[in-house]
Amino acid sequence: MPEGLADIATIVLTGIGLVFFLAGTVGLIRFPDVFSRLHALTKADNLGLGFIVLGAGFQADDWTQLAKLGLIWALALLAAGTVAQLVARAALRQEGRE
Amino acid sequence: MSRVTMKAMIHRTVVFALIWAVLSAGDPAGQVLGLIVVPATVWLSVALLPARNPLKLWRLTGHTPRFLVGSVAGGVDVARRAFAPSMPLNPGWLRVPMQLGDGARVALGAELSLMPGTLAAGSDGSVLLVHVLDLDAEPGRAVEAQAAEIAALTDPAPEGP
Repeated sequence: MPEGLADIATIVLTGIGLVFFLAGTVGLIRFPDVFSRLHALTKADNLGLGFIVLGAGFQADDWTQLAKLGLIWALALLAAGTVAQLVARAALRQEGRE
Repeated sequence: MSRVTMKAMIHRTVVFALIWAVLSAGDPAGQVLGLIVVPATVWLSVALLPARNPLKLWRLTGHTPRFLVGSVAGGVDVARRAFAPSMPLNPGWLRVPMQLGDGARVALGAELSLMPGTLAAGSDGSVLLVHVLDLDAEPGRAVEAQAAEIAALTDPAPEGP
């Protein structure tokens, strides 16, 4: 792919990714309770990272760099899904105690 | 050693070897180290997480596109609600009876947390507690569909109610 096109793809995709990270942060601030905020953080940030990984992928020199980017996203996805459950469960228990 | 454990060890060896190959690409010394690291990781993995219900890998390939589409929809949905001035939320709780085992339940919870409008918050006995962003969007049906898909990924398929 010509360099110019790859750069445009990177700019557009990472730009979209940043919008989703912003959405996650806006949700974190605006949403009314712990659980709703967790929705915003996990879902929007996961998608934001996905777009940034895609965008960065257009700058990769070989397949191993692509694969590393893919691994980063997969690991973050796994961590986000797991941590969201743990935080939600902890928050629920605390609510029950009060 | 049981057939199930044997199969899981082969699967995990392939996956961990691939990951190590990516991480150590271009470094011959690092690749040689993989001959120690990969078997050690497989051993630790089987010790910590014994293979009970092996995944059906070909079903996983069918499930992945639906998961990706769902997680994109989830991100777009929550971004729309966050940015909208009126902030359309109608949060609440669902109690979803489950037949799934522990591992499958954790996988379902992780997945639900990325799907539109649902968030798993542990379970109460055999009932999965799911927080939903919008009770009007009929989230219950989506949760049950996800649970059925996760159940179909393992073998043998859990007994229906």
